Amino acid sequence: MIKVGSTIRTSDQVDLGAMITPLQKICAECDRYQTGECKPPACLVGFALRSLQFAKKKGIMDIPGAASHIPHTDLKHYFVENIVPALAETCRQCRECRDNHSPDCVIALARTCLENAVLEKNIPYPGSVFMYLAMVKKQNPAVAELLAKELQNK
Amino acid sequence: MGMAIFKQSNGMYAVNIVASCGVLTPDQLAGLGKAARDCGVFRLKLTTRQTIVAVLDKEQIPRLVERLPELGLAVSPYGGAVRAVKACAGNAALCPRALGDALDLGIAIQEQYLGREVPKDVKIAVAGCPRGCTDPLCADFGIVARGAGTFDVFLGGRGGSAKPVHGQLLANRVAREDIFPLLNHVLERYTALAQPKERLSAVVARLGLDPFLPPPGLITADDAQETVDEEFLAFLGGKGSDQSG
Repeated sequence: MIKVGSTIRTSDQVDLGAMITPLQKICAECDRYQTGECKPPACLVGFALRSLQFAKKKGIMDIPGAASHIPHTDLKHYFVENIVPALAETCRQCRECRDNHSPDCVIALARTCLENAVLEKNIPYPGSVFMYLAMVKKQNPAVAELLAKELQNK
Repeated sequence: MGMAIFKQSNGMYAVNIVASCGVLTPDQLAGLGKAARDCGVFRLKLTTRQTIVAVLDKEQIPRLVERLPELGLAVSPYGGAVRAVKACAGNAALCPRALGDALDLGIAIQEQYLGREVPKDVKIAVAGCPRGCTDPLCADFGIVARGAGTFDVFLGGRGGSAKPVHGQLLANRVAREDIFPLLNHVLERYTALAQPKERLSAVVARLGLDPFLPPPGLITADDAQETVDEEFLAFLGGKGSDQSG
């Protein structure tokens, strides 16, 4: 069993709270919020939120093996306008690790979940926001435009 | 094993000085500076192996060399010996990108192996992440952190020469404490298999990795898929939406 936090990277370098807030907003507007139907392990937004909250609680950046538990079978409909602010925040917080990128990094976990909610395919993060926008645009120009506007807002 | 003291083109001599993977305290640096002044050192140069070369007149060499131990420094070995270990600033206190503690491992390896006799020079490099700031794939024995206590080991790299070669993966996810028996094994096999003055990279090119593979039980390499922590799964499966931040 690999222990959580099995890298020495800590969450001090990023603002996990900034990514948590827009996800909580999505949850609050969900019909299943605070009902027995709310199942975070089976929900893309719930999984992203719980991953970030767990990382914040533990002060870690990586959750080894977590990427294999992303609920790709979540077929709920998500409104792009709700997802984009959260997706933009993952871009802002990304440390651009490039060759050192880990799919189990909590930022990557959240981004992967949010992409699954609005895009057909996941995008291998190229290490820069500009390149990422170009790749999103290739797949979905409308999402890319909203994302670009959101990133310009702050 | 010789000492790394070489005559230079200008007639002076270069003394290669080793610290702990290039880490010096202010007192060590100030002490070395004072010793260098006292011994008429002409220049000090930082090297690619994280050592310091002092250039001075031949007759001043003994004075400088005898000052080094009190500063916790030493003259680098030369010839058929394990050389100064290169390690990046990867540890919990320094580089924020580090996945594992490379610096402390590098220092521990250097303390244990520096100067050990081998057929030709053996260069070791330790990196705290795959970025590899210390060029671990260009080392005879390259170590790259995969996690806090696990490392990949590459064998047979050679950064210099007209035909540089990258090391090959010898073992992955090796526990920190298993690095030492693995290095012992590699050095023993290298000593047994090398022709006179043959570099480790040449032995690997000639015989392949097989003779260097660790025997069963030597290390506890973990090739299995990483499993997620149960604590995370329990947290993930906790009741309903969590707005607690």
